[in-house]
Amino acid sequence: MRVTVISIPVLDQEKALQFYTLKLGFIKKRDIPLDGGNRWLTLVSKDAQDGPELLLEPAPLHFEPSKVYQEELMKAGIPYTQFDVDDVQKEYDRLVELGVEFSVKPTAMGTLKVAVLNDTCGNNIQLVEEL
Amino acid sequence: MTFYEKEIHRVGRIIYANRSQIDTVIRTRKYLDRNYEANVNLNLLARTHAVSKFHLLRLFKKYYGLTPAKYVTDKRIAMSKQHLENGMSATQTCFAVGFESLGSFSTLFKRKTGKTPFEYQKEQLSRSF
Repeated sequence: MRVTVISIPVLDQEKALQFYTLKLGFIKKRDIPLDGGNRWLTLVSKDAQDGPELLLEPAPLHFEPSKVYQEELMKAGIPYTQFDVDDVQKEYDRLVELGVEFSVKPTAMGTLKVAVLNDTCGNNIQLVEEL
Repeated sequence: MTFYEKEIHRVGRIIYANRSQIDTVIRTRKYLDRNYEANVNLNLLARTHAVSKFHLLRLFKKYYGLTPAKYVTDKRIAMSKQHLENGMSATQTCFAVGFESLGSFSTLFKRKTGKTPFEYQKEQLSRSF
């Protein structure tokens, strides 16, 4: 077995595609039309294009428990998932400049530095740097 | 402050309470990052932090979740991928990242990535056309 896809629930796939590519810097890998305007839409990291794909799935629009779960995580500030970066402070500065909002500013904790951003599609996303 | 932010501060105070241990493992990791291609001398490193080598190994595993040896192996494989992508030959790559024989490098590379260095390079280079 191999890990090839992990998914993030998003409220609007097109808006998420714009945010994750133009602001976070991911690259679109697959975009397959499905029924009802839904898409099988995956992204990869710029520097690991043969790595796992991130699936932007419209689950909260079609499955109530997914919507409830996403809303409660958002309210509590809990990240849906996290991405590794080389330098949290540098990414924070770059993203703030692009208008991205953070609920946790760069915070060093032991062997980690973390920050939490709002992906504008219903999720908190944590950036992590190993110190 | 969100519930999550409060929680990371609370948990952080518990698991990262020992500042001198944290400084020791962070310095160790930086040392490994700088010296992954050489023979890593943990005895020397342990002495500079006035701890035993075994204590240092345990501390590293406690905070990073893997042993320094595994950390170095992962680092070597990650760096070898970069070299191969940049067109360096498999033999040169093998020695550049600190392996002593092409056989052991190829075997480990295949175990970690599913491909031999040659296959990996061929795939990466064909991708750029």
